[in-house]
Amino acid sequence: MDFEKQLKLQAFLDGELPEPEAREIANWLAQDQQAALLLAELRNTRESLKGAEAFMPLPESREFYWSKIAREIDRLEPAARPPQAKPSWVAMWRRYLMPAGAIAAALLVALMVVAPNRGADSESEAAMSDPGAFTYRDYSAQATLVWLSYPAENEIADGERADTLQ
Amino acid sequence: MTEKDHSSSDDQSLVRAAQHGDTAAFEELVSRHRDKLYARAFSMVRNEEEAIDLSQEAWVKGWQRLVQFQGESSFGTWMTRIVINLCLDHIRKQKRQRTESIEAMDQDSGGVERQMPVVVVNPTAGLERAELRQRIDKALGQLSYEHRTALVLHEFEEMEYKEIAKAMDCSIGTVMSRLFYARRKLAALLADLKKSDQ
Repeated sequence: MDFEKQLKLQAFLDGELPEPEAREIANWLAQDQQAALLLAELRNTRESLKGAEAFMPLPESREFYWSKIAREIDRLEPAARPPQAKPSWVAMWRRYLMPAGAIAAALLVALMVVAPNRGADSESEAAMSDPGAFTYRDYSAQATLVWLSYPAENEIADGERADTLQ
Repeated sequence: MTEKDHSSSDDQSLVRAAQHGDTAAFEELVSRHRDKLYARAFSMVRNEEEAIDLSQEAWVKGWQRLVQFQGESSFGTWMTRIVINLCLDHIRKQKRQRTESIEAMDQDSGGVERQMPVVVVNPTAGLERAELRQRIDKALGQLSYEHRTALVLHEFEEMEYKEIAKAMDCSIGTVMSRLFYARRKLAALLADLKKSDQ
């Protein structure tokens, strides 16, 4: 019996053969006792395995098993924490302060343009790489004013911590 | 804040809650299906620690992909597919690290199973369920990774040839020959176990 035929016999048992080929195998089985014996062995093995998978309970407690999963989820996805209930007053204030700061900076620039006679002993500068930063220097008063229209990083972190604790 | 008790919720509700970020609902799902996932991983890798790690990794992956779960299959089946894929990756990595063995060379070309005599008497006839399970587990442990995996996916997960081929990243012909040798070898091993009883 060639190997190809043995595999077809198995496919016949598993219901994986198209109808014409299945008929062909059925005819062959009726004539070949060795093929019939092999089919019987394959069928016995398949039947023995049905529902005979060993019951394998997890050898760890629910809490211990879950703790590793939870740690990994937290590590990969801190956003998985429950959403924050309400924005804090710090966040609200910052939300209104930022546009107000931007308007103030724009007004300051406009003032520089409208009053050019002050240009001799003062200058203003807006960095192209950082549109949120604006610098004004008054040489006569020996003063430099830097206006940042966004909060510093540590302020954001503090604000978030405050939000979380609320 | 009190946590909602999820123990009476069905899987569908738990999945919906978990999809909205409820980790307590997800923990309940883990609790319900952890044994099945661990058992599947163990049946493939045959190592307790690796099976625990792989099943935990599957749960983390499940959480990350939860939005993709649309309910075409049951949640348990969906999670089992994830752990199977992880185990297959794990086995492939291990195989790459191992030096080529005679077993590896023989696994697709047939080895000795092609010439084995047919086991005429059913070696598991009349066995109690517990005894049958124990013998099958012992025999499965003696098969190569490839043969065992093909058998586990076909017999326990009821996957078709083409599904197994896709999962194992091989041709349908390879699946058929792996399954054939696995069954023949298993029959011989079970017959040996029967003989050792007598």
